[in-house]
Amino acid sequence: MNPDAYDSAEPLGGVHIKYLRHCPRQLWLYMRGYRPEADSDLVAFGQIVDETTFARRRHVDLGEARIDWVTAGAVIHETKSSRAPSPAHDAQVRHYCLLLERRGINVRGGIVHYPLIRRTTEITWDDEARDQAEGAEAAAHAVIAAPRAPERLTRSRCRGCAYLDYCWGA
Amino acid sequence: MPAAGRTYWLTEPCRIRREDNSVRIERHDGTPVHLPITDIRDLVAFDHIDINTSALSLLNRHGVTLHVLDHYGNHAGHFAPAESMASASVIRRQVEISSNPAQRLDIGRSLLLTTAENLRWSLDTDLLDPALDALRAALPDCDTSDALMGQEGNFRRTAWAVLDTQLPPWLRLNGRTRRPPTNAGNAFISYLNSLVYARVLTALRSTPLHPAIGFLHSDTDRRRNTFALDLAEPFKPLFAERLLKRAAAQKHLKETDFETDVGRAALSKNGRKKIAALVKDELATTVYHRSLKRQVSYEKLIHLEALKIVRLCLEGTPYKPFRPWW
Repeated sequence: MNPDAYDSAEPLGGVHIKYLRHCPRQLWLYMRGYRPEADSDLVAFGQIVDETTFARRRHVDLGEARIDWVTAGAVIHETKSSRAPSPAHDAQVRHYCLLLERRGINVRGGIVHYPLIRRTTEITWDDEARDQAEGAEAAAHAVIAAPRAPERLTRSRCRGCAYLDYCWGA
Repeated sequence: MPAAGRTYWLTEPCRIRREDNSVRIERHDGTPVHLPITDIRDLVAFDHIDINTSALSLLNRHGVTLHVLDHYGNHAGHFAPAESMASASVIRRQVEISSNPAQRLDIGRSLLLTTAENLRWSLDTDLLDPALDALRAALPDCDTSDALMGQEGNFRRTAWAVLDTQLPPWLRLNGRTRRPPTNAGNAFISYLNSLVYARVLTALRSTPLHPAIGFLHSDTDRRRNTFALDLAEPFKPLFAERLLKRAAAQKHLKETDFETDVGRAALSKNGRKKIAALVKDELATTVYHRSLKRQVSYEKLIHLEALKIVRLCLEGTPYKPFRPWW
């Protein structure tokens, strides 16, 4: 058996979907064990934002993913330390919706909170969103199973990424 | 490892205690120092320390490594956090590369040649050019690690003889001796080599690589983390030989900084402090990195070197050892 072959039935967490949208190469490296996030100031900042906002809400741990919190009627909430809403965040929430629905929960939708700019983005959960979520899941599995790492993005887009030293420090 | 940690150099005998969730360093003169645990990347103990389990578990929780150097500057050991960044798929590739004799020798050769060129760069003399040419000619014919190390030994002997010509008589090596070093110059080199080894180990622990699966040093060599020894090689000239030359030229080191006995020498307490300060400043020195397009410290260069091996393991990118470009 090829030890580097990945089981495509293996469940994915929110971080995988976010990385897929952010940079497929990051997802590929993450799955192979290079995880420099602990050294990143931006990641540490994100953790602090998570700890200091909506502090009364409890995380929901699904095993493969950890949802920030869920409110009545199954609305999924996600906090982001970013100041710019991004499609990667929406994809992450849609993936959580998919995971909950597979557990037999009647999901109504999701909300992404941006406490630093005091804005929220609403995510509707319908057939179209389900297709998107399933598509993203399949794309992530395809990236992970690829034998070679995807190419780097342009350097300017790598700004702030914890993987920058690895990708560009040749 | 914390995002914005720094290395703390403990040059005096002290006791490391845990106080709530921070570290208190108690010294003999009764002035405790409080260190926020999130500010510590690792600790290097140059002198006797007392430490207990609660302090160690705090260090563990925050991923702090503690390096211990013995009286003669040998790396006596380190305390490493239980959780590591290791990754099975990276280590598997590392083992494959290391067990493939051709690839292993290739990496060993390029490490040795680069180290020799770095040494020539740090001594800044053309006296070494014949020895370097001889090494270049001999390396392709070496087909075992031992043969490689033999060639390295030859070159090193010449290089140290050349280094001696640039040093005042009392600091000369007169042949490299270890365990224990016999004179002041050797004591200095021993200390610096151990420090570089400790820095490489710390860098390796922030990557998924395994520090014991090496390419150049033989596995049975004193049962140390052979990969850390390998990666330390190209950096030794940058720190050990260059700092020795500089400390001698600037008359920064005095004979009183060493405790010299018949046949053995070690740094005095004051000498240890001087070296800690010297190395600390040197590690913080920055140079402009051409592909990262920003200033990076010498400390970071060691980390980038470890990442090159991660790239080799994950993507098969050829490994080119570190060479100063400034």
